[in-house]
Amino acid sequence: MNRGVLIAAGIALSLAVPGSIQAQRGRGGQGGAPVTPKAAAPVDLTGYWVSVVTEDWRYRMVTPKKGDYPSIPLNAEGRRVADAWDPAKDEASGDPCKSYGAGNIMRVPGNVHITWEDDNTLRVDTDAGTQTRLFRFAGSPNSSGAPGWQGNSAAQWEFAGGGRGGRGRGNAQDRGGDLKVVTTGMRAGYLQKNGVPYSGNAVVTEYFHRTIESNGDSWLIVTTMIEDPQYLNQQFQRSTHFKRLPDASTWSPSPCTAR
Amino acid sequence: MRVPMLLLLAMLLSCVAAFAQIDFSGEWAPRFYEDQPERVPGPELGDYLGLPINDAARMRADTWSASIQTLPEWQCRPHSADYIWRGPSQLRISKEVDPVTRQITAFHAEWLRSVDRTIYLDGRPHPEEYAAHSWSGFSTGKWDGDMLTVTVTHLKEGYVRRNGVPRSDLATLTEHWIRHGNWLTVVEIVNDPVYLTEPFVRTTDYELDLHQQIPPYPCGIVEEVDRPEGVVPHFLPGTDTSLAEFPAHHDLPAEAAKGGAETMYPKYQSKLRQK
Repeated sequence: MNRGVLIAAGIALSLAVPGSIQAQRGRGGQGGAPVTPKAAAPVDLTGYWVSVVTEDWRYRMVTPKKGDYPSIPLNAEGRRVADAWDPAKDEASGDPCKSYGAGNIMRVPGNVHITWEDDNTLRVDTDAGTQTRLFRFAGSPNSSGAPGWQGNSAAQWEFAGGGRGGRGRGNAQDRGGDLKVVTTGMRAGYLQKNGVPYSGNAVVTEYFHRTIESNGDSWLIVTTMIEDPQYLNQQFQRSTHFKRLPDASTWSPSPCTAR
Repeated sequence: MRVPMLLLLAMLLSCVAAFAQIDFSGEWAPRFYEDQPERVPGPELGDYLGLPINDAARMRADTWSASIQTLPEWQCRPHSADYIWRGPSQLRISKEVDPVTRQITAFHAEWLRSVDRTIYLDGRPHPEEYAAHSWSGFSTGKWDGDMLTVTVTHLKEGYVRRNGVPRSDLATLTEHWIRHGNWLTVVEIVNDPVYLTEPFVRTTDYELDLHQQIPPYPCGIVEEVDRPEGVVPHFLPGTDTSLAEFPAHHDLPAEAAKGGAETMYPKYQSKLRQK
């Protein structure tokens, strides 16, 4: 075969190798230092975002009545617990944050601030309930101690074209992708403010996507899947959208409330 | 040898584009884990919660009568491309593949009681402004990583909620299709210069269910109501007293039920607490 053809084929094949294969080599270049998850990010999720409540308004903007949970696939035990909801008890026990845990916090109307805590940890702060979530990529130390409302969140990038990993080469944003987060080890909480329960054994899997629109808007799309056989009779999925804000001007921290 | 070399290069580079494609084809079942009361039994009259509508839209909705669906002209009217994602129907997505390049050149989406909706991926332009409008509109898609972004124009007038809240035929729709395993999430962004003051965004989830079929829906028209020719069911402004039942039944301020962009944002909660 002509040498030129071989060279061209070689160049093309190298371009055709899925980005994920190269991205998971964990090196910035031959002999270079490992590329951190922060540097390898295929999408920039940082900034201020506000939830825009066009869905489940009656279940998010106000606290629904006890027993009002038509969208949630509760099993008999889940319904029993939800129907026994008593916000006064939660207040008395010092637990007004039950609906602000990782299983529901992204559904709570409010502002979200996403920053890099360090090169291996993405931090999500909410003004509603003043909660902090830490998404730890490989290389980030796990949190220890008793379960908290936000649990332990393991993060990994998913690169467009297939493949996942927490490390990769530079210019990852050219390829695109999303963030996958799996959270376990939470304190038992509520999927909805009126006492719809999730257990401490629930597993929350989330995907974070970002869109950029032709009018300049940008949307953060969070798809949340919850598995909790203790209270749910099937996997439960919701998707929630946030609009990107230019600054912190609407940031308004407020404490958890049980009612 | 120069031509074969360039041809080979072009063919191999086309594989790069293929990696950015993900397959959405299959049979999908809607999951009503959000807005179940609105989507399955149907929205209550006067429920405009969370809709960024203007006064004109509110007036249209407040004067809407559900009996309009009994008119022969309305009986077989399908949901439009923007609303159908929210309807209580299973979904089939199929793909067209170019036999030479083996690239996906189009997706087709069909629901119960809907027309075939084609999403062209071959780079064709949208029709001229005055081309015919349809229930499915004209859709083109482009890949944004693994996400498919679809632009829809040429829609007939439809509704953003099926209790009479209108969406005009000047509206455009942007969709983002996202797939994770057996789950499909579709983000819809409706821009309507006539009835919306801000883009209206919704996200809807489907689960892959290969056992289901989309049955045929041959719609027949019958005289459901004996009424004089030319009568169109409606309420005159301010005369539909049932509109007040929705906020009263759910202990909501009447003002909130009327919707508007302000009601979509968290800050509105402080107003609600003052009521």
